[in-house]
Amino acid sequence: MADVFTAAALAILAATAFGLFRVLRSRIAVERMMAVQLLGTGGVAALLLLGAASGVAATSDAALLLMLFAAFSCAAFTRGEEDTPDEDPQPTKEKT
Amino acid sequence: MTLLFDLALVAWLIALAGHIAMTREDRNAIVAFIAFGLLLGLAWVRLSALDVALTEVAIGGGVTGVLLLSAEAHLRKPLAQDSAQDRPHDGRRRLGNVGTIAAALASAAVTAGLALAVLALPTPAPTLAPVAAAALDTTGLGNPVTAVLLAYRALDTLLEKVVLLLALVGVWSLAPDRTWGGAPSLAPAVAPEPLVYLARVLPPIGVVIAVYMFWVGADAPGGTFQAGTVLAAMWLIVMLAGLRQPPDTAHRVLRLLLVGGPALFLAVGFLGFFIADGFLSYPEPIAKPLILGIEAALTLSIAATLAMLVAGPAQKAPEP
Repeated sequence: MADVFTAAALAILAATAFGLFRVLRSRIAVERMMAVQLLGTGGVAALLLLGAASGVAATSDAALLLMLFAAFSCAAFTRGEEDTPDEDPQPTKEKT
Repeated sequence: MTLLFDLALVAWLIALAGHIAMTREDRNAIVAFIAFGLLLGLAWVRLSALDVALTEVAIGGGVTGVLLLSAEAHLRKPLAQDSAQDRPHDGRRRLGNVGTIAAALASAAVTAGLALAVLALPTPAPTLAPVAAAALDTTGLGNPVTAVLLAYRALDTLLEKVVLLLALVGVWSLAPDRTWGGAPSLAPAVAPEPLVYLARVLPPIGVVIAVYMFWVGADAPGGTFQAGTVLAAMWLIVMLAGLRQPPDTAHRVLRLLLVGGPALFLAVGFLGFFIADGFLSYPEPIAKPLILGIEAALTLSIAATLAMLVAGPAQKAPEP
């Protein structure tokens, strides 16, 4: 059973990895921040599966913190973001 | 199967590190660095170092991210004003090539040195783990990491907390004279609506998690530093959303909170001369209550210190 859990964790890790690199290379700043949220979700799933595979209960505590700080980093991203609106909207204005 | 998982994790970590190093724009690199911190937590879990994993997720993925993003926003402001002259960019580029090569060489040397050091270890690596586990009963704790931090090597932990305070003094002293003792400013003029919502929903959950982290630290992975970091993050999110303003840096309650943990730790340390064997030693019957008391005070101090470190130097004149 442990092998099945680890295999599932590996599959989630791989899916998150490909998604992450795709999102990290996005040209829109907010989308790049979504990479961290993606890692939060994928990481929590992988951690819970690993915890079930190894039988170490405290692994779910790590998952708990990962969830909390992935959400927190969203708030962190607003830091300094108020100065940037003149960077991003301009190209879109030119396009339209 | 676990080997395959570990290899994939290592490959991913290296690829992400490469991405951070190659990214041109600072802000993108910082966002990728936050992701790297969270991922590194996963690697520490695989190494069975859950206490380190929790700290890495909280510090590397959380608080460092907000600190770096603030610093980047601060640096960008003067650059934008001088952009007509374009001088900073030129200087940076000229320094860039030489600097990048030097940094890459230095990093490679450190990595190679670390690899050699690890490979040179004797096969049963020298360890004090059995001794630490054997003496665990005398502390009344169940988590050997907490026992090392607050009993066996309490002096290191005490000095570490004092270093945190020194760092805060360093940050605060960057404030100009007219704002000395005033409040730092964190929230933007208009906080985005989703952030305000998040700042209302997340802290109640976060505070419960922090109390849990503190309490479980005695017997399982967790402890003061993780709990303090979670509390700091929750306070920061409330301040970032502008729901509560940061306190004046000269505020008496804040200062007491900052000094309280290390002061209590030091006081109990000196008490050891009279009620136990010497400095920072606890009498065996009340070792656990003493340790928990110190941890509780330290958690609050760490939370206040980390939050004020991120909030930065005072930017408003103090209220009379």
